[in-house]
Amino acid sequence: MPTEIIMPKVDMDMATGRIAAWHVEEGASVAKGDPIFDIETDKAAMEVEAPADGTLHHPVPEGTDVPIGAPVGWLYAEGEAVRAPPTEETPTQEVPANAPDGETETETPTAQPSAPSTETLAEQDKPRATPKARKLARDAGIDLATLDGTGPRGRIQAADVAVLEEEPGKLAAPAGFEQEAGPLSVIRSKGGTGTPVVLIHGFANEAAAWSPIEAHLSERPLIRIELPCHGKSPKRRLAGFADLVSDVRRASDDLDLQSAHLVGHSLGGAVALAIADTRASRVDSLTLIAPAGLGPDINGTLLDGIGRATRAESLGPWLRQLVADDSVITDRYVRAAMMARKDPALRAAQKAMADTLFPDGTQAFDLRPALGRIAMPARIIWGKRDAIIDWRHALAAPGPVALHLFDGLGHMPHMEAPDAIGQCIAATL
Amino acid sequence: MNAQAGIDVREISYAQAIREAMDIALAEDDRVILMGEDIGVYGGAFQVTGDLVDKYGTDRVMDTPISELGGAGVAVGAALTGLRPIFEFQFSDFATLAMEQIVNQAAKVRYMLGGAVSVPVVMRFPAGSGTGAAAQHSQSLEAWLGHVPGLKVVQPATPEDAKGLLLAALDDPDPVMIFEHKLLYKMKGQVPSGRYTTPIGKAAVRREGSHLTIVATAIMVHKALEAAKALEDEGIEAEVIDLRTIRPLDRDTVLASVRKTGKLLCVYEAVKTLGIGAEVSAMVAESDAFDFLDAPIVRLGGAESPIPYNPELEKAVVPQVPDIIEAARGLAEGRV
Repeated sequence: MPTEIIMPKVDMDMATGRIAAWHVEEGASVAKGDPIFDIETDKAAMEVEAPADGTLHHPVPEGTDVPIGAPVGWLYAEGEAVRAPPTEETPTQEVPANAPDGETETETPTAQPSAPSTETLAEQDKPRATPKARKLARDAGIDLATLDGTGPRGRIQAADVAVLEEEPGKLAAPAGFEQEAGPLSVIRSKGGTGTPVVLIHGFANEAAAWSPIEAHLSERPLIRIELPCHGKSPKRRLAGFADLVSDVRRASDDLDLQSAHLVGHSLGGAVALAIADTRASRVDSLTLIAPAGLGPDINGTLLDGIGRATRAESLGPWLRQLVADDSVITDRYVRAAMMARKDPALRAAQKAMADTLFPDGTQAFDLRPALGRIAMPARIIWGKRDAIIDWRHALAAPGPVALHLFDGLGHMPHMEAPDAIGQCIAATL
Repeated sequence: MNAQAGIDVREISYAQAIREAMDIALAEDDRVILMGEDIGVYGGAFQVTGDLVDKYGTDRVMDTPISELGGAGVAVGAALTGLRPIFEFQFSDFATLAMEQIVNQAAKVRYMLGGAVSVPVVMRFPAGSGTGAAAQHSQSLEAWLGHVPGLKVVQPATPEDAKGLLLAALDDPDPVMIFEHKLLYKMKGQVPSGRYTTPIGKAAVRREGSHLTIVATAIMVHKALEAAKALEDEGIEAEVIDLRTIRPLDRDTVLASVRKTGKLLCVYEAVKTLGIGAEVSAMVAESDAFDFLDAPIVRLGGAESPIPYNPELEKAVVPQVPDIIEAARGLAEGRV
């Protein structure tokens, strides 16, 4: 009896695999362990080895999608008579009543793959979708087959369709969002006296990111501005970094402050620096934590990973790269972060923003000249284990800018070491 | 709740609320009588009737012999003759002994006599596990009676509803079965004084939320609320519906919620298989709310097991707060 070569399962979400190429021709002999074909899934390509010694017969044609566990060919032992693909010997495979299997069961050898596997394939190809997703797709005239499901086992959920509805015609786009008007979200603390501290968070974050160090700054009034496409701020398509700065500058101008201490993290640091450069007389001091804009490179893979994640399991590994000590990022933290990113329109807006500001893993804006012009007291805080932006970008700072470099911290020093960073900032307010 | 303005609201227990309802009914309507084993001088197996016998005498607060079939039969007969009996079972498990009277007589007579008579009997069943009373004194059999046309079946989860539903049951011309969870008897809550009724067939939204709907009954309402509170910290907003009546079901409230959230979790203590959660799930699946479902429906119910005596095992066979949290989280995060 010939040995079946089956389509292996090589990743969790995989339902089918495509035969990319056979390494051996039909009728050729192979030894167990020889690479015999390549498969491709949505996420991976890999080589598959022969499960036994033998001669290859009835290989499924290259380019065919085959469900996991279904045969893609058979290996015949030496001297074994080659018969039709032995479908009847694989009782686990269901043979639909209408399949023309009566014919294929004859003794006539045939090089074609058997009908049953094609039928099973059709079954597998039916899109998995929730009732709500089906209704949305039906109402919007969208073919479910054109959608990528983000639910368990690739199930299409409402969010996967809702995304499309807003951008018909751009079916290949993973997500879309509507332009929203209105001012940025600004959150003020209740207490505090004296010159206020204006806090600008980083990319894929929100105002709440500041809470770990706020206790140290609470003597001052605290004003947190949320970047467009983040937190409760409206989602808009930005033409570039200047567009982002003008949005935030308008929000800070609207605060009508005579003076303020500006604190920005990562992308928010770049924005703070740009605002300090153009509103120098109203900025008393500038604190940049792991700021963007001081060098060309940035970890685009990580930005993509965070942007792509639709559930806690896929978000967690990326978030853990943001810190040096990943025990800070608890499962609970990850789940809360995912809930905050649950809205597909928000994720789509942030993805568009990342594509504009950091194309191909490159910071498309350079603020080193601005840093050179800064006259107010300024400092840069950086963790030397930052995996997003190399801390050495800090070395671009001119002499008057103070550098606080921390050995055991990553890209979120204010979250990993709130006391040290909070005191460091508070000391000069 | 139909409490009138000006009535004071006090904190009393679920058992006290039931007693207060019976007291009001006995005082205002001569046709109301209480019947049951040890409800007189002893005050009832769970001390719900208390000292009502002292106030109304043994003609109206009657101890019945240890025969549930006999007692229930007399109660049904009394209702047919125009009285308004409230019959107490010591444990809902003993409903099995009185099924003939409940299912074949009380539920059927109105239909079989062409609507010429009705059976305005009220039966009270202490139900549920958690008291260490083991397999024959801990069951949740409400779905058995919920299967019978002609009966109404309610499960009050709060002291306020325990009183309001009992008074509503007395106003109802047909037999009403009240399942009272034993662990709730001591639970305290705000209860208006005086007469008011809680409508039969109307669920209550105990907590609003947008990420998923939890439909729960009896003590599971409180466990679901506790779970919802814990999930709040994670940004998950669960809507919690207290079903209150399992026959007739409040379709509108459940379907409206599912249309809003797209996700349904049913939580009930009775054995999961063929239970109230199956009925609620099917009701949703058969309705237009089906099109709004964005995940499979999830049920949490009792295990396929008699209630064990061992206290740890007793907890293990019915849904607990962590089970609800986990199931709700999975639904909210789109992992189910």
